[in-house]
Amino acid sequence: MKKFSRAMAIILSLLLVVGGLTACGPKETDGGKVAGEITDWVTYQTIASEMETFNFQYSQNAKELDVLNNCFDGLTTNDPYGNLIPCIAERWETPDGGKTWTFYLRKGVPWVDYQGNKKGEVVAEDFLWGLEWVLNFAKNDAINTSMPNQLIKGAKEYYEYTKQLGEEAKNLDLTKFKEMVGIEAPDDYTLKFECIDKYPYFQTVTVYNCLYPISGEFLKEVGVDGYRAITYDKLWYNGPYTITHFVPGNEKVLTKNPLYWDKSAKLFNTVTIKMVESTDNAFQMFQNGELHAITLTEANLQTIYRDPNHKYHKNLVEARPSKYSYQIHMNFDKRLPDGKPDTNWNTAIANAAFRKSLYYGVDWTDYLRRVNAINPLKTTNLCFTSFNLVTTSDGRDYTDLVMDRIGMRPSLEKYVRYDAEKAAQLKQQAMEELTAKGVTFPVEIDYYIAGSNQTALDSATVMKNVLEGCLGTDYIKFNIKTYVSSFAQEVRNPQLQSFSISGWGADFGDPINFLGQIIIDDDNAYYATTTTNANNITDPEFKAVFKEFTRLVLEANAITDDLDKRYEAFADAEAYALENALTIPLYYNIPWQLTHMNAYSAIYCAYGGHAARYVNRETSTELYTTEQYEEFARAYEAGKGGK
Amino acid sequence: MLKYTIKRLLQSFITVLIVVTIVFLLLRMLPTDYYFTEEQLMKLTREQLDDQLRAAGLLDPPLVQLGRYYRQLARLDLGTSRRIQNSVPVTQVIGSKIYISMRLGWISLAIAVVAGVAYGVVQAMNKGGFWDHVGTAYTVFVRAVPALVSYSLILILGSRMLNLPSMYSTRDVVRSSILPVVCLSLSSVAGYMVWTRRYMVDELNKDYIRLAKLKGMSTRSVLYKHVLKNAFVPLAQYLPQSVLLVTGGSLLVERFFSVPGLGSLLTDSILRYDLNLVQALVMMYTAMGVVGLFLGDVLMVALDPRILLTEKEGTR
Repeated sequence: MKKFSRAMAIILSLLLVVGGLTACGPKETDGGKVAGEITDWVTYQTIASEMETFNFQYSQNAKELDVLNNCFDGLTTNDPYGNLIPCIAERWETPDGGKTWTFYLRKGVPWVDYQGNKKGEVVAEDFLWGLEWVLNFAKNDAINTSMPNQLIKGAKEYYEYTKQLGEEAKNLDLTKFKEMVGIEAPDDYTLKFECIDKYPYFQTVTVYNCLYPISGEFLKEVGVDGYRAITYDKLWYNGPYTITHFVPGNEKVLTKNPLYWDKSAKLFNTVTIKMVESTDNAFQMFQNGELHAITLTEANLQTIYRDPNHKYHKNLVEARPSKYSYQIHMNFDKRLPDGKPDTNWNTAIANAAFRKSLYYGVDWTDYLRRVNAINPLKTTNLCFTSFNLVTTSDGRDYTDLVMDRIGMRPSLEKYVRYDAEKAAQLKQQAMEELTAKGVTFPVEIDYYIAGSNQTALDSATVMKNVLEGCLGTDYIKFNIKTYVSSFAQEVRNPQLQSFSISGWGADFGDPINFLGQIIIDDDNAYYATTTTNANNITDPEFKAVFKEFTRLVLEANAITDDLDKRYEAFADAEAYALENALTIPLYYNIPWQLTHMNAYSAIYCAYGGHAARYVNRETSTELYTTEQYEEFARAYEAGKGGK
Repeated sequence: MLKYTIKRLLQSFITVLIVVTIVFLLLRMLPTDYYFTEEQLMKLTREQLDDQLRAAGLLDPPLVQLGRYYRQLARLDLGTSRRIQNSVPVTQVIGSKIYISMRLGWISLAIAVVAGVAYGVVQAMNKGGFWDHVGTAYTVFVRAVPALVSYSLILILGSRMLNLPSMYSTRDVVRSSILPVVCLSLSSVAGYMVWTRRYMVDELNKDYIRLAKLKGMSTRSVLYKHVLKNAFVPLAQYLPQSVLLVTGGSLLVERFFSVPGLGSLLTDSILRYDLNLVQALVMMYTAMGVVGLFLGDVLMVALDPRILLTEKEGTR
């Protein structure tokens, strides 16, 4: 017995200590070490970003759109410089300066199932089915209706009509829709839109999924409830990839559409998106060669950057800025937890000198280090509108027009908006004026972060040090407060925040998509109605400033026959907003990464979601180096002349 | 026994119903904005948000909603998911995940029971000896080191030294299951070791064991026919519950290795306010708990007929 138990003990001890040793096997993934070009791209997302629907018309979140934009083609797409280029529409025209638009579709664009078998061809009426789905409340729950309702004749009326019908609206075909809505398909390859007014940017709206096609035949096949709950293996695709494998919370595989109409497009054979628990896990997988690119956390970046002998030191490359422009949005009607107005803050923020002291008086460099630890000043953002959104006829970026007016350009030497002398004068002026109005100093600033988010707490702590360090604790007191799960529900709706930081990414190519969010007396102005509460301003002087800004924006928006003039007018309005500190631009997100992909070869655009398309991307089996990426950036800038 | 079984099943049904009702009403007390994503709150007007809530019946009084839910349950209709997999029946969402958690859970439980009980026997037989200390050291290590640290070590060792996949893949189930199974087994092996050792040592010190030995029974015979059998009875009570509960998946291990199982589904569905899914999962977990306890009692009786589940007449 003793011998038996000893032998058993040895075996079990070994099993306990090296339980997995029996499971050796060849490594399946090859990472960047395979010779030749990368044909099967492997990337990752965090599990929290798992997609919730395959219904493209219902998708509103980046987590779905980033995948589905690879599976469906619309009328137009973008190139690496952000230019709008033909996709299913070979060309388009507007004979009346933006009120009516005609798109001429290419022939022979196939619908395929997930295995790449041909199911039909894209025709103009498919775009009608797509828009009908979006506008039909019973089918799409009002999702993605905002743009068509604002732009297309009869769209809002049709939406209201379906809402009145209730469940019955699920049975609607195109008859009533064609009667009511300004869209028609005179033949299979011509599509006409009639807008409510002249919208010279309407063609850029067509990259947004609200104007994408659905095959009428497919809808007949799966039915309304079938499309609402559609799965990847039942979908009809018309884009560069189909989804051939999907396990929620685990991985999805996009496979090249063998019948894709654009034979010149360079596509991967497969794109695998692995869902990982955290970026740290992803970094582990990258090191094992299981991923082709990784965005680095601050800790990983610092480890690699500080060690010149680190194996990845020479491979650190900066990502390109995302389309989001991050701003400080102040709350002009702040409330206390008991619901009463925070008079001290509201009075202070209505004062021009106080707002401008926040605008000119803070050197944000240390805070920007949280965004980009190595090149903080590269993330400097001086405008509300994102760069690369639109350009004038002579190739000037719209944000250049704004920066000309405010007299500032980003610099890698210093934080340019910070003017200590001016800030001191403004501070003194604000304290005198506001003390006379009964404001007590320091003015308390309530800033909210998610209670469980350590990264947010670290950033907020830096922000506190930056603000109090620059402006003085006799002037402001920065309070870091927390919410449990929803900023919107727990903080924004009860109007508790003094200010919040938010990134806005455009849905279409026009400055109105930015400036229209902060004007007053407009229900569609997102920030004004939900975040800044600018419509509730009572101070007459401050209200007049907002009225003037709104007038300038609406005046610019009315210019539809000359885009250069339009952009100049918008730039006037934006400069007015910035100089009056109605919003405070803060940063662009530019993280560091290790990658086998040349981001400068990919679609890059400040509106829409086509930047996520895995089309025409240049890759290398070896990790790119810092020098190579700098060369790519130079070549890209040199190539801008062709834009 | 039949009477007892019917009574317990009835009690179980009422327990499940009470829990589901409480959870249903608690969820209805939350503000309705949680029903929407931040993007939807951003892009839909207040009127459109209310239209959606009205269409989903969420603006009706809670008791009206509860009545509707009971009627739905009577038709065995658990509704559709709204956020996890939009418009897909919740039974389908759960069904697609349960077998993955079940497979990993059952394998790890089998490993834990076999290895844990076997090593517990070894420890008991070598009480105070080298192998006993090895087992104790293992137990202390597993219990003292935070789970995520152990998992990270296993991940690094497994993926770098043994070339095992860092995350679970349905396209390479066998190899990609190894690390999650090792992690899942890690703690439960220790649990079964500790309890087996304890019950075995208790039994080995009892008089009937000495008597059996004096009567000339072999050590092996005493060990397996008497000691282990008696020591296993208290462990057996929790076995059915464990079998059912591991089916529900492990939040930590499944998250860590991206296993698409049930482990994180409940927290995800709560965070995303996917009401039908939360209710279905709560019902499932409650049912598993009460049924597991019931089966544990039955198993104990089967292993030790001296145990009575019903009161004898005249007893109190």
